[in-house]
Amino acid sequence: MEPTPNPLESPDQPKIGVYICRCGGNISDYLDTEKLADTVRGIPGVTLSKVDTFMCSDPGQDRIVQDVQAGLVNRVVVASCSPFLHEVTFKAAVRRGGLNPYLYTHVNIREQGSWAHGHQGDAATQHALHMIAGGVGKVRHLQPLDKIRLPSHRRVLVIGGGVAGMKAALDTARRGLPVLLVEKAPQLGGRSLDLGRVYPSEQEARELVKRLEKDVRAEEKITVLTGSEVTAIGGFIGNFEATISTGSEQRTDAIGAVIMATGFTPYQPPEGEYAFGHSQVVTLPEFVKALRDMPSGKTLTWNGKPVRSVGLMHCVGSRQCEGCFQPQPDGQLNDYCSRVCCTSLLRNAVELRSRFPETQIYDFHQDIRTYGRGQEDYYTCASDQGVTFFRWKGEEPPVVTARDKGGLAITVKDQLTFGEEIEVPVDLLVLGVGMMPGPIADLVDQLKLPVGADRFLQEVHPKLRPVEVAVAGVLLAGTAQGPMSIEESLEGASAAAAKASILLAHDYTDLEPFVALVTPDLCVGCNACVEECQYAGAVTMEAGPEGKSVATVNPGLCKGCGACVAVCPTRAIDVQGWTLDQFDAMIDGMTDEALRVPATQG
Amino acid sequence: MADAVYQPRLLMLATLSCAYPGADAVGKARLEYYPNVHILGVPAPVMFPKEFYLRTYAKGFDGIIIAACGSDCPYKNAYDQLAARIDDLVQDMKQGGLEIARIRTTAICTVCIKPFLKEVEEMKEKLAPLGPVNREIAATLWRAEREAMKTRAAQVA
Repeated sequence: MEPTPNPLESPDQPKIGVYICRCGGNISDYLDTEKLADTVRGIPGVTLSKVDTFMCSDPGQDRIVQDVQAGLVNRVVVASCSPFLHEVTFKAAVRRGGLNPYLYTHVNIREQGSWAHGHQGDAATQHALHMIAGGVGKVRHLQPLDKIRLPSHRRVLVIGGGVAGMKAALDTARRGLPVLLVEKAPQLGGRSLDLGRVYPSEQEARELVKRLEKDVRAEEKITVLTGSEVTAIGGFIGNFEATISTGSEQRTDAIGAVIMATGFTPYQPPEGEYAFGHSQVVTLPEFVKALRDMPSGKTLTWNGKPVRSVGLMHCVGSRQCEGCFQPQPDGQLNDYCSRVCCTSLLRNAVELRSRFPETQIYDFHQDIRTYGRGQEDYYTCASDQGVTFFRWKGEEPPVVTARDKGGLAITVKDQLTFGEEIEVPVDLLVLGVGMMPGPIADLVDQLKLPVGADRFLQEVHPKLRPVEVAVAGVLLAGTAQGPMSIEESLEGASAAAAKASILLAHDYTDLEPFVALVTPDLCVGCNACVEECQYAGAVTMEAGPEGKSVATVNPGLCKGCGACVAVCPTRAIDVQGWTLDQFDAMIDGMTDEALRVPATQG
Repeated sequence: MADAVYQPRLLMLATLSCAYPGADAVGKARLEYYPNVHILGVPAPVMFPKEFYLRTYAKGFDGIIIAACGSDCPYKNAYDQLAARIDDLVQDMKQGGLEIARIRTTAICTVCIKPFLKEVEEMKEKLAPLGPVNREIAATLWRAEREAMKTRAAQVA
């Protein structure tokens, strides 16, 4: 499609505006941003350069909009943070000014500048200058581009039928989009089915599941597939294809967006960790399930034995210190906080004290992290009801041993009594196990999903894009993303549903135009690109004018890797937005010896 | 600054899916490396012809690290295609008298902070004794490659 001519763009006369961000000191405390602006003004084609404290703020963005509208600039470079944060922001500003947004280049002088060379004086500023000069070189060669519009399937796949998956399915369907809800287990509900009453509402988790399931089943736009698994998935936003297996049956569905609500796995302590394996040591999920179905009484009974005292151990499989615990098979420890265990342990302490008043409770924690609304009340309440607290240091976890006369002994260096070593006998020990990522390696592999250092699925940005991943069209709901409470899982699910509805608001998807394009006049028809390309049909030889064969790209099939570019003898084929001429110009800018920032005096 | 120690000018071709965010992670962790390292984000280094590398040396870059995605490469077969190109480049450099230590291919992931710093440091140490790149030799090789491309094109036409 021919781009509409835009009088503002005048490609033959580049008027380049360079905007340098101080990032509130994150950049300007280390690099001399004023000198940078002064020096880049000397580069041919640069008509103005400006410095702003926060280019991403509204006034910062408005500088670009106004300069473009006034006809002062027709190419824009912003030197600020990583392009992964604000390239989109500034492209949008360029568009608001009336220019094609692809006439923009982003230069990273924070993550790869001030933060990486901040204490190296003028050399760091000089480096930033050359990086900006590279960006100026590129922007001079940019062409207006249009996004590629492809039809998309307006249908959402939700993987996982726990509370997050059900909530995400409901919210999506109620916006009018058909949903496929796939759950591995024979029933909906996930791990909530094993819980009792849950904080902060003290609602029965099974009641919550029942209500959600009733709504899900009543919603005609939702197709529920239990006892089913997604066995193969691929594609891209608007155009995923998923194979779903139910027993020996298989179906293949065209999908526009995917919501990952695959949940977590509770940490399973190795034999011997806090005496795990002993009949009187139990994990919190097992204990909660048993407690729920147990009659109340004066004293708790476990394995037929009366329990006069219970120990609650925090941070089992969470916030693990190096050398203290057995690492996971990949050699890593779980150094993150699982966030729900503190409140859950204390909630159950309160329940135990009221249902079994003669059972004493001893709580062993590193910290008490009852961080959410209403959660601190559980701590206050547990304190009021006589729960005894011991605090241990991360690198000195308590030691649990079996006692000869039965029960267990917990030895702790208690920080609340200034490091005194105390031995506490208990009849039962409950391990507050943390959360681990679910077994979703195949999905991660097939969808190329990013995984964080904690091995959970990773969002693009915790604040700015909290439920999106770097793979467009895939969204996160619930604990697939990291440890969180039911409350937070449902929030995440609603956010993911809203995002999915936005992505599929139309029956088309606009994709970045960064695919190969042939300049027919330069093509000699040698076929090298066709031979090099790994995607069937992405580039083919077609009859051109005067009977000449000319390489032709199918933008829907091209992935933009550029393998074809390297083998072309005439530079007839290039990836749009990333052409070899642009790269050459960047190298020229980065090596421009004439560009020097004046040295700092003294 | 007159007695400044020679610091090789390094170009890192960093894949946008892996090594570029990896370099961001180094900065986010406030871990510093020497400032003569220029990171260039690229969709896939498989797009660069031999002449791009030769021209880059001719312009004055002393070393190039191709920081790819390795086995995490999002593009079909691209890593093997890249390896073949670099083999070819290395042959030319050998024959033309350009030190092959000036090119290095590696894989850096999005959270590979330590490997990133190690690669940069090792490349710096390897290039320091070589001194600045011989731009004349590089320019000669680059021109020869441009001629070879013209010949290839002419043969088809």
